Amino acid sequence: MEPPGGEAVSLSGVWVSYSGSGRPAIVDAFLSVRKREFVLITGPNGAGKTTLVETCLGILRPLRGRALLLGVDTCSRRIMTARKECSYVPQDFMRPPHDYYTAEQVIRFGLASLKEQPPREVIEEVTRELEIDRLLKRPIGTLSGGQQQRVFLARALIRKPRVLFLDEPFSSLDEGFRRRIAEMLRSEVDESYTAVVMVSHDTSPVRDLADRVVLMSDGRVKSLDRVEGLG
Amino acid sequence: MILSVVASILAGVLCGTLGYYVERLGVVTLCFSVAHAALAGAALAMILGTDMTLTAASFSVCLAFLMGLALRSLTRMRELASMAFFSAFNAIALLMIYISNTTVLATASISSVLWGSVLVTTPLKLAIMISVLAAFLLYTTSFKEQLEAILFDKKLAEAEGIDVRVHILAILLFVGAAIALTLKLTGGFLVFSLLYNPMAASMVVSKRANIQMILSPIIGSSSSLSGLMLSYLLDWPVGACITVSSVIVLAVAAVSRYAANSLLARRAASEQPEPEMGPLRAPR
Repeated sequence: MEPPGGEAVSLSGVWVSYSGSGRPAIVDAFLSVRKREFVLITGPNGAGKTTLVETCLGILRPLRGRALLLGVDTCSRRIMTARKECSYVPQDFMRPPHDYYTAEQVIRFGLASLKEQPPREVIEEVTRELEIDRLLKRPIGTLSGGQQQRVFLARALIRKPRVLFLDEPFSSLDEGFRRRIAEMLRSEVDESYTAVVMVSHDTSPVRDLADRVVLMSDGRVKSLDRVEGLG
Repeated sequence: MILSVVASILAGVLCGTLGYYVERLGVVTLCFSVAHAALAGAALAMILGTDMTLTAASFSVCLAFLMGLALRSLTRMRELASMAFFSAFNAIALLMIYISNTTVLATASISSVLWGSVLVTTPLKLAIMISVLAAFLLYTTSFKEQLEAILFDKKLAEAEGIDVRVHILAILLFVGAAIALTLKLTGGFLVFSLLYNPMAASMVVSKRANIQMILSPIIGSSSSLSGLMLSYLLDWPVGACITVSSVIVLAVAAVSRYAANSLLARRAASEQPEPEMGPLRAPR
């Protein structure tokens, strides 16, 4: 197990703008996420939360400033190697009803970039915990929103990432699952030294579990120490 | 004739399979410009006196390579850049045809570039086509999981460390090579019909990607073969006949789908029980 310490994500003076848009989506952002840290990013719609996560992953390139993921500049070619050690649960995960890939295949696609495949027991354990072990043979498009979201969460967790990015991971889940998954994430941070960066409108399930809250507004990052600082 | 039959089947399979990836990866217009780069290359070969397939391949593969490299920086401009290349290569092709030494448009070399010819297939070209198909099948088998992950969700695959750009570049290079090889069979202006029409027909038949992947090369090869037969029987240009065949298949698929949907909707409506109406109440 890797000892804690060091930076998982580092943004310094980052500006991001979408081509054709006159207004920058991220303005002069400074953010540091340490390994073994659970960071919650929250803020109103259009604040730039998803853009911030995609910038951390290097999917979006900064117009100005520097973004580092596991010490690798997101603009360099080596970012591919860094990304292999990360997982991502996107906000727009819903698949159409005719999508024929089974839940098991969707999880396996998440392992396509890894050299070392996780043992079968890890897959069984995570799918059992998320209560999707009986859904694995079903086409993803036939599952409900909550079931699909749990499949994507399982895909992310099975990869055993060093940095886990989650974009609104509770949007389709009921109260019970929200709390249970939040606790699973906390134990990932404590036991596997994973850094978790979560974007969520709903702060209640992670209110007492996150180490730090980052509030975003109009593309600007405002860091708070604790969740109590909200509202 | 046997060579042409085999070549037309192989071209249909190759283009049909590539069409599936081209559509699913969202690089349709990009491949459209690659097809016209091949046409410009073939037309230039008439002036230079070089091998038409080789010159066409060098044009299409080079453009595919450049577009693949510029994929990330082009972003929103990608479609427009593709159309700019398309018009530029079309202009080059027409200029080359205009200034070539041939005086009549119906001369063998020009006609094979414009509307294809069954007489152009040589054992060497057939062997190259088989090699390209084999290389493509080897590539898709070796990177099956990664390609499936990209087709499932491009952005998620990229976030998990799969080099999406390299795979799109590889597909574009295969498209470039396939187009150059089939160009003289179907003609420069219609070569892309073998790439798109079979996939379009398979999309009409089924929404499921795994069925589309199987149907597209089957439709491609059968359109190609039936077009070749039509050309042989009627003595019409082979490229136009292949295109007409593929369009007919697409039209039949669309009409059948519409008829099947209407039938299913009518049956569902007839099986629905009549809603029971309660007693009407007078308004207060």
